Amino acid sequence: MDEAPSAVEAGGDGKPAKARLDNSESLTSNSSERKQAVLETFGRYRDTLDAHHDQRERVIKCSRDITALSKKMIFALLRVTQDPPESVFKDVQVKHDKVLELFRKMSADLQGSDAAKYNRQATPALQEYIEAIGLWRFLEHNQLISKQQVEETLAASNIALVTDEDYLLGIGDLPGEVNRYCINAIGKNDHEAVHRCLAFMRQLKDGVSLVMSSCGSKDLRKKAEVLDSSLGKTEMAYYSMSVREREFAQKSH
Amino acid sequence: MDHQIFIDLQDRFDRESELFEGIKAQTKELDRACRLASAQLSKAHSLPRDRAKEVADAVGPQFVAIRDNIGRLAALVTPATFYKLQGMWANALQTACALVVFAVYLAEARLATPEDVGAYLGCKVNTGNQEIAEFVVTLEEYLHGVISLFSELSRLAVNSVIVGDVQRPQEISTFASELYSGFQLLNLKNDSLRRRFDSIKYEVKKIEEVLYDLRVRRLTA
Repeated sequence: MDEAPSAVEAGGDGKPAKARLDNSESLTSNSSERKQAVLETFGRYRDTLDAHHDQRERVIKCSRDITALSKKMIFALLRVTQDPPESVFKDVQVKHDKVLELFRKMSADLQGSDAAKYNRQATPALQEYIEAIGLWRFLEHNQLISKQQVEETLAASNIALVTDEDYLLGIGDLPGEVNRYCINAIGKNDHEAVHRCLAFMRQLKDGVSLVMSSCGSKDLRKKAEVLDSSLGKTEMAYYSMSVREREFAQKSH
Repeated sequence: MDHQIFIDLQDRFDRESELFEGIKAQTKELDRACRLASAQLSKAHSLPRDRAKEVADAVGPQFVAIRDNIGRLAALVTPATFYKLQGMWANALQTACALVVFAVYLAEARLATPEDVGAYLGCKVNTGNQEIAEFVVTLEEYLHGVISLFSELSRLAVNSVIVGDVQRPQEISTFASELYSGFQLLNLKNDSLRRRFDSIKYEVKKIEEVLYDLRVRRLTA
């Protein structure tokens, strides 16, 4: 219990404070000395704060570039209904390599405790990237990408931390893209694809609503609303297609 | 595709919210200990200068309680989760820093260093920008604590005149303006530190007004 008062004594710079104050002769010189010491100390604090802000800026810049390139990956992937899949996936692979290069650059500022420190700046990039490779995985393998798969891909770029929020918010954006793909597939009369989209989105919706009760993220709530509307659009599109088909079937009888 | 992915996520989120609850409860305890210490230190405002050290020393047991609470809080946090959760206790630690800064000022009329804060609170102040390996007080929290000293100083300038000490405001003023010049070196972004910094000038002005009142009536040398 008597440790704290002794900390008071131990915390001094050795000189008794009283003597400093009582001796008015040396007060002025002490004062300028003291001011010098304050300036030196705060100069060091400034360097620390500047280094922190610089690091933050670097992450933001990298994050923006990754987001932009991931969006390009998504657009390229959506061309899969027009172009031969092999050439689409090859093109996406090239973009993906570039994204991984950018992640490697960003990872220098996201080591250890810094991953969480700058997560707010890095998360837009992670989310967009997860959305892109999630769409890729769905189109190529009809699978929902797992967090582990994301982590394994990013480990190559030395990115150690993908938070559950990053992952969830990333795959939460998938329905919007899947819906786009689905509308294109309807245009091509590709029933199998439309059916796959619908099944995928329904499972995503169920999954997300399962997690909603446990995750307080406001962003997730917003994404869940968008998910519902994407699913609604897809169901309506599928419905119109079915109606038309029945109608045609009837007429051709 | 199955629901396992989402069930796992749900489990992790549930465990995380238990952690949040624990941290919230511990932060509340810390806050309570801080308030007690704050009430005790406030006595310095109504006492003459020669009893300031006595007031500061008497808060020792409260600082032990604060340190214990910080220790229990630190036990809930790992370096990897530190910055994600830090917002939950930042306010309480800023208050704790402010208490140390005020206590050291009362005892020794100087600025508490990060080392002082470390000794009082039982955890290091991270004055650099490097990654952390343990629970720390951030530089921002320390600086928030230092900024809080300005309002104590301006109160102290007024109150020392009340207890009949007309010399002390001059010393307080010198000290405050030295410290202010330090803060003016910082390149602050538009954050909470910046807003607090902007309030310093009003406290400095208040101290100068006390000096003016005393000088204009020839009450000081």
